[in-house]
Amino acid sequence: MKKIMVGNHAVSWGVMLARAEVVSAYPITPQTTIVEELSVLCADGRLKARFIPVESEHSAMACCIGSSAAGVRTFTATSSQGLALMHEMLHWATGARLPIVMANVNRALGSPFNIWGEQSDSLAQRDTGWLQIYCESNQEVLDTVLQSFKIAERVLLPVMLVLDAFILSHTAEPVDIPDHQLADEFLPPYRPDLRLNSKDPHIFACLAPPEYLMEFRYKIQQSMLQSKEVCRRVDEEFGKAFGRKYGLVEPYRCEGADLILVTAGSVTSTARVAVDALREKGRKVGLAKLRLFRPFPKEELLEITRGADKIAVLDRNFSAGIGGIFAHEIRAAFCNEKSHPPVYSYITGLGGRDTTLQNLNEVIYQTYERPRPEEQSVWVGLRS
Amino acid sequence: MSKQIPLLREGEMPYQPISLGSMEWNKTGSWRYLRPRFENKIPPCNEGCPAGQDIEGALVLIGKGKYLEAWDLFKEENPFPGVCGRVCYHPCESSCNRGDFDEPLSINALERFMADMASKHRRKPPLKKREKRPEKVAVIGSGPAGLTCAYHLVRLGYGVTVFEALPVLGGMLRVGIPEYRLPKKVLGQEIDQILELGVKVEVNARLGNGLSLEDLKEYQAVFLALGNHKSRSLGISGEEAEGIMSGVEFLKDVNLGKKVELGKRVAVIGGGNTAVDAARAALRLGAKPLILYRRTREEMPAFASEVHEAEEEGIEISLLTSPVKVISQNGRAAQLECVKNRLGPPDEDGRRRPVEIKGSNCTIEVDQVISAIGEEADLSCLSKQVGIRDNTVPTDERGATKQAGVFAGGDIILQPHTVVHAIASGKRAAIFIDSHLRKENWEGLFEALRVGEKGSLSMKRYLQEERERVPLSGKTVLLKDLNLDYFEYQKRLKMPKAKSSRRTTSFEEVNLGFNEETAVEEARRCFNCGVCNLCDNCYIFCPDVAIQKGKEGELNIFDYDHCKGCGICMEECPRDVIVMEVEGR
Repeated sequence: MKKIMVGNHAVSWGVMLARAEVVSAYPITPQTTIVEELSVLCADGRLKARFIPVESEHSAMACCIGSSAAGVRTFTATSSQGLALMHEMLHWATGARLPIVMANVNRALGSPFNIWGEQSDSLAQRDTGWLQIYCESNQEVLDTVLQSFKIAERVLLPVMLVLDAFILSHTAEPVDIPDHQLADEFLPPYRPDLRLNSKDPHIFACLAPPEYLMEFRYKIQQSMLQSKEVCRRVDEEFGKAFGRKYGLVEPYRCEGADLILVTAGSVTSTARVAVDALREKGRKVGLAKLRLFRPFPKEELLEITRGADKIAVLDRNFSAGIGGIFAHEIRAAFCNEKSHPPVYSYITGLGGRDTTLQNLNEVIYQTYERPRPEEQSVWVGLRS
Repeated sequence: MSKQIPLLREGEMPYQPISLGSMEWNKTGSWRYLRPRFENKIPPCNEGCPAGQDIEGALVLIGKGKYLEAWDLFKEENPFPGVCGRVCYHPCESSCNRGDFDEPLSINALERFMADMASKHRRKPPLKKREKRPEKVAVIGSGPAGLTCAYHLVRLGYGVTVFEALPVLGGMLRVGIPEYRLPKKVLGQEIDQILELGVKVEVNARLGNGLSLEDLKEYQAVFLALGNHKSRSLGISGEEAEGIMSGVEFLKDVNLGKKVELGKRVAVIGGGNTAVDAARAALRLGAKPLILYRRTREEMPAFASEVHEAEEEGIEISLLTSPVKVISQNGRAAQLECVKNRLGPPDEDGRRRPVEIKGSNCTIEVDQVISAIGEEADLSCLSKQVGIRDNTVPTDERGATKQAGVFAGGDIILQPHTVVHAIASGKRAAIFIDSHLRKENWEGLFEALRVGEKGSLSMKRYLQEERERVPLSGKTVLLKDLNLDYFEYQKRLKMPKAKSSRRTTSFEEVNLGFNEETAVEEARRCFNCGVCNLCDNCYIFCPDVAIQKGKEGELNIFDYDHCKGCGICMEECPRDVIVMEVEGR
């Protein structure tokens, strides 16, 4: 069944299809309508979940940690300042190995106050041990919710799926709603071995002295590394069940390309149009859509870009002093390779500013013209 | 050599940081350094009642519709709830914490309500009694002090005889208070209940009139409660004329049903309750009374409500007016010469003294003058052994006089001249006559029996075995001790009154009493200061689920195995019932 729906409702419907049992969240623009729709679905019985209203995002995540520890499929959603407020609890969820799924609607962090799209909020949580998946369309958003629960529950790590403010969250697109029975077959109920049980009390997330903490951290690292393979397999399974799959990094017209653009999120769609136009003109431009950010799909990206002369990375985010975070990650991932294309870094579309076709063409021509990447990221569309 | 602790390898560890063993052994209460405990405290109304009645306890019962049980509780301490519910000046209400919040509880009206319900149901109080004892006690005077003492002494096992000078029992309750404030039927019922316990009485037996303390040798103890029945004289010229009588005499005649001829114009001199009672009684006999008082309304010692009711009934009060001379015609008072006063500096008792305004003399036409400027005791019948000072009988803290075995109470000792203080002194005497006759140590009794810190004693506790007595809290709960977030403003309910037009022509009762619905609603306004009413706030708020429900009607139970001592229960208790104490280690 196809429905026209905004990206936020695609999240909510994905959660309904996943039969989450607890939803606890605090509203924040542009995430609010996810929670609104979920409360409606809970109220009218289409989603049989306990909806727990709380007084802050910190409490929302604490609440999710409690319910997930009790062995219950748990969901929350937030954005920007709300995600920042959760920060402490994000580490806790990972350390306690709780497969919570969260949707984060990318939004700039204040100050200055800004409610529009930017990836800096989710990327600032890079080191919390959450898997991160960036979505391009509303269909991918819904599908990724189902995939996320399956991945999280297999590797026992929390998953954050990310969608752009307004461009996805508040824009309606046709979305194919999977059949509920098929969804149930794809995602069986969550029944963990270890869970809170008053008849058999244990300490959960107990004190780990210096003798033990490193071992627990090592286990997380192992699981995170294994999770890449799990993500790949879950995507395959999803493809078999529903006829759609996304990969970890999606190559687009990369055959024989000398320059490959790297994007994440909804700007990918604009980039597809730019690439198509330049290919028409005979330019050998390709596109790699980075879907998975944690764990980082280094091998996949390396494989796609191996034959290219240059990589141009579009970052809708920035880390002061470093510049574009995706570009920085790619450079770090490739640095020990014998040979890899040089990485050109571009910052674009901060605080919800549109990244236009014109901006993308500018990025591509600049990359062609310059023999070597600038030391610092180049700011596209800056009024200097 | 130190022992090596074998550490698990990474592969042997669980994926979650979780204890491998069960944690059932871990009683998290061991983290606690403060321990909560339920401790009922003293409600200020109970402390404020000189008769030491469990007012808070009775209000709870009324709120549950258990009116008769509430009355039983009062009867433990005081044989006269029907009387007090009508004439007590209710210091309990001025102590009520609601008074500082919105308006105090109508405790007095509720006391009357439960007594009326008991009367309607012909209830006999199931009183606790002790075994019979061989000693006998004589009580002189059958007013509230004497009869209360007799009531408690009989319960304590003594043979008691009450000697009353008048032909009727009740003292000032009978002959001093008019029918419209205290119906004789109500008084009679409560006296009958005392007599039914086995109290003997001898009426027309006046001390000093063929009866002396020496005649009472067969009694091992005596309680003197003669009362103040002598009216002070005006001390002005012409006072001995016909047509002048004392308020005490007038009220006694009216109360005993004698026919009193007053004429129309009646001047009542004085500002106390006797004066107001006399004026209102005169009004009901067809006269047109005028109250003359030498100071202003603020200094009037009569209860404000009585003064208000008198004015409602149309009685005039001439303030700052003193009589100086009675002018007679044919040997009968015809005119009263008066002067006007202004207020001067305060005298010894703090009230401003009236100062005569020179040349302000005027005369008032009168048919009758009633003087009611105060009563005093007539102690001429008592021997020096008892010890008399300033026309009162000095007593120690027990109510014992200088003469061994002779105790005293009521208006003849140095204490406020109110019904409830008389009742309190009677109960106190009963307790200490008992300890005197048993030759027991009495010093510890004040601490063991006190209801708060204002001197009230509990007969209920006295009748309990020492080990049965619940430990007493040293704290009276005040408004600042309550968690006011839990209380809402709610109007005080008042008794309906008979229409003033009807009141002027009959001696029917003025206040008409609560109905059941009003009584329950008013009783439920009670904050239950310092007493657990099982509201379950502690149970609801405990974040560790460390408070368990008690059995039906009993206190909740702290689960000290798991209580962390956070104190939230104490904070959220609306009525200051939970105390936190340092954990013993």
